[in-house]
Amino acid sequence: MPRKVKHRKQQRGRMTGMAKGGVELAFGDFGIQAQEAGWISARQIEAARIAMTRHVKRGGKVWIRIFPDKPVTQKPAETRMGSGKGNPEFWVAVVKPGRIMFELGGVDETLARAAMERAIQKLPIKAKFVIRPGTHGTPEVTI
Amino acid sequence: MSAVTLSASTAREHGSRNSRRLRTAGSIPGVVYGHGQSPLAISVDAKAFRTAVSGEQGLNSLIDLDADGKKYLVMAREIQRHPVRGTVSHIDFQIIDPNELVVAEVPLHLIGDAVEVRHADWEVDQQMFSIEIKTRPDQIPTHLDVDISELKVGSSIRVQDVILPKGVEPAVDASLTVVTTRAGRVAAKSATGAEPVAE
Repeated sequence: MPRKVKHRKQQRGRMTGMAKGGVELAFGDFGIQAQEAGWISARQIEAARIAMTRHVKRGGKVWIRIFPDKPVTQKPAETRMGSGKGNPEFWVAVVKPGRIMFELGGVDETLARAAMERAIQKLPIKAKFVIRPGTHGTPEVTI
Repeated sequence: MSAVTLSASTAREHGSRNSRRLRTAGSIPGVVYGHGQSPLAISVDAKAFRTAVSGEQGLNSLIDLDADGKKYLVMAREIQRHPVRGTVSHIDFQIIDPNELVVAEVPLHLIGDAVEVRHADWEVDQQMFSIEIKTRPDQIPTHLDVDISELKVGSSIRVQDVILPKGVEPAVDASLTVVTTRAGRVAAKSATGAEPVAE
């Protein structure tokens, strides 16, 4: 989460369309790509990272391509409506379809796939394992 | 290295609607430019393009582009893909001169076993997975091997240490790190006496 923000509370916003950037693997050979839009909380990102790194055990390098920079507020339980906006409770990253959320490099495909499938289980949206085109037997061009 | 032949049509109309129709019909819109030529809008067959870049050279393949009778020696440069499906939605072809140097991105493969690093419970950390090189178009290697068998604990291999074939020079800063070593979990635990924070 950010160290300092200009405004403590944000409006929720909309998540229409597809990701505009961050849709290609930039560092590793493997990645997790979002298939739908959603909010990924800082805890979920950390849980996915831990699941991945624990499965890999040794070697490999993980890149996290999303950052939870949006504060989400909640009103306390059993509170009457009104009296202003609730308190910031957690931080989320806004993710749209196509966004590469995590990358992994330096391990073989079988291990990467197994590790990333575990990480996907920690995420609240549909996501898929992707391989850099032209590597590990994948074609450069998909039709 | 011989060039693969790819035929292209110059009879494509501009605009997103026309491009969308082209993609539905199994073609990919693209553009040819370079060497003082004014940009030429073309379209290529998706299957033919996939075949052309499926060789050993991959996207660094030299392509003999036949644009309605006019021939260009090109390389595929920027490839735009659909964010979710991954299908190619647009290709930039750059005209190249076979006698001039070009910049190409080549994958790096680690070879050998870093015995000393492994015995010390350290890990080999590959920082760079591909490298930009400058060479003649017919001398672009399919990949570059980096030998890590001599790697010591705490040392690293930089771009300047990578053995390049004759006529190939790096197009990136020579001091950039390709491979380094880092303490594994066992080594870090024995050094500090506690579980490392980063997992």
